[in-house]
Amino acid sequence: MLISFNLVMALAAVPAALIARRAGPGRTAAVGLAVFAGAGLACGVADELSTLILARCVQALGGAAAVTAALELLPATVGSERRATVVWASAGATGAALGPALGGLLTELISWQSIFLLQVPVALAAAVPILSVARHEAATGIIEPELRQTGRPHLWANVALAMVSAAIAAALFLLVLLLIEGWRLSPIGAAIVVTVMPLAAILGSRLGPHVPDARARAAAGAILVSGGLGGLALLPSAKVVLTLPPQILVGIGLALVLSALTETALGGRAPQAIHGGWTISARHAGVVVGLLALTPVFTADIAQQREDAIDAGTAVILDSSVDPLLKLSLAQKISDRLDEEEGKVPTIGPAFEPLPENEDERAEVETLQDELQDQLDRGATHAFSPSFGLAALIGLLALIPIALSRRVDL
Amino acid sequence: MNVAGPSDGGNTRSWLLVGGSVVVALLLVGIYLAAGGASYTPEKTRDPCKHRPWTNPESLSDFANQFSISALDGAACELGVSREALAQALATPVAREQFLERYDISDAELARAIRASLLRTVDDAENAGALSPLLADPLRSTLKQIPLDQAIELVNDASSLLSNVQGFLGPAGELLEQLLP
Repeated sequence: MLISFNLVMALAAVPAALIARRAGPGRTAAVGLAVFAGAGLACGVADELSTLILARCVQALGGAAAVTAALELLPATVGSERRATVVWASAGATGAALGPALGGLLTELISWQSIFLLQVPVALAAAVPILSVARHEAATGIIEPELRQTGRPHLWANVALAMVSAAIAAALFLLVLLLIEGWRLSPIGAAIVVTVMPLAAILGSRLGPHVPDARARAAAGAILVSGGLGGLALLPSAKVVLTLPPQILVGIGLALVLSALTETALGGRAPQAIHGGWTISARHAGVVVGLLALTPVFTADIAQQREDAIDAGTAVILDSSVDPLLKLSLAQKISDRLDEEEGKVPTIGPAFEPLPENEDERAEVETLQDELQDQLDRGATHAFSPSFGLAALIGLLALIPIALSRRVDL
Repeated sequence: MNVAGPSDGGNTRSWLLVGGSVVVALLLVGIYLAAGGASYTPEKTRDPCKHRPWTNPESLSDFANQFSISALDGAACELGVSREALAQALATPVAREQFLERYDISDAELARAIRASLLRTVDDAENAGALSPLLADPLRSTLKQIPLDQAIELVNDASSLLSNVQGFLGPAGELLEQLLP
């Protein structure tokens, strides 16, 4: 579902921008937001996965139209094309960081459907101020003519955007998975934890204006994102608090790099909507490639690590000095837990209940439970390491196109 | 065409930002590495073919534990699997079926490996002085006759084996605990 949405966004962004240029940004944005809201409603009431995926694809079409047309509308609101670029780029970066946290909160507090249903009034509210522009366009029939040739998109900035987006997608997607599937946090718990990233992104967006050189901001951002991902790949323990410093780095880094690269890609180019479309396309293509490349690595690793963790846990039980009959009973209960939570990292607490009444035996069993849990935590955490490591490498490799990119004012 | 470039002050800030980012990123990775991030993995399981010396059992339960582990090691070594994989397989009939299918082992091969391992374990325990010869002989006789399901039960819980022997020894079985060194 995640891939289908991003794929459609990647494919539709530039054509949507062309439509915005021809039909008028007001009308395109209004129609885009209406489509986005309607498809969001369909997502919220979908009772089958296929319906949900189809609705998400339609939503991506509406989103592509609204986002690219918005770039054409912004200069009139914020005063200049340059300022519009900065606002548009920052909004994109903050949105990317905020999405998973907000989605997790809504899922836990209400339901997953609420994520989509909430988008309906938000999109419609956003469409209201645009309606007057759309009406004006329809009444006058005046569509701004193409001022100049569209020109080629900024290759290196867009390549870097795609690479960095692949790395950031890993950070956002895999971290949520690690917290929920690996460390067994509730979705709301995970959402609260990953809130650190958007908060750090806000900090990063404040840092940006102090450094005018977009290439330096992009390089610093890519380094911070990679450093954060490197930290996530090398977590020394399954403790939530240890994810915070890497998240801060990723959050600040993504705000810096996404906005800097978007500004670079748009700098001196016109029409803005079309080049903005290219940046949207590059970012979402990067997410798709990132997820496609990292998911098989992650899936294979989690299966292997689960097996290794269970073996290590079995060794802990076998080598313990608890009574053999108790061992046997524990082994059977743990085996049942594994069957119940097929393919997942099991919650082993229930397998140890009820605890023995004898104090010495109880202490022994509790130690055993801690040791077994430690092995499972090690396995779950380590399963994500290669994917985080690979994402960090992609982020670092983005420094090559960043070094080759140069903002050119025509 | 004008290539946008930063001013001197901006240039310094650019270098500071990039340099600072490198330092912070390296610091985080370095600290996590130093804290053991690279080795935070499940512990490696030991080679079941590696000899595990017997220690003097302090109780019947301790003897049963050592006996089970030694028997598991021996059978796992013979089957070419890890001790842990075999232990998981013997926990439930379903797990055993999955294990046999995964490693392409027949019931007869499993039975042969377990029985041979149990007998060797009795020998090892006797040789190490952990099991009295007075108990070792009846244990061997019992082991040679039992079917696979009971052999598995014995690997999982060797104390039941001693209970069997206790029954076999009759009134003398009450002295069982005393017969363990």
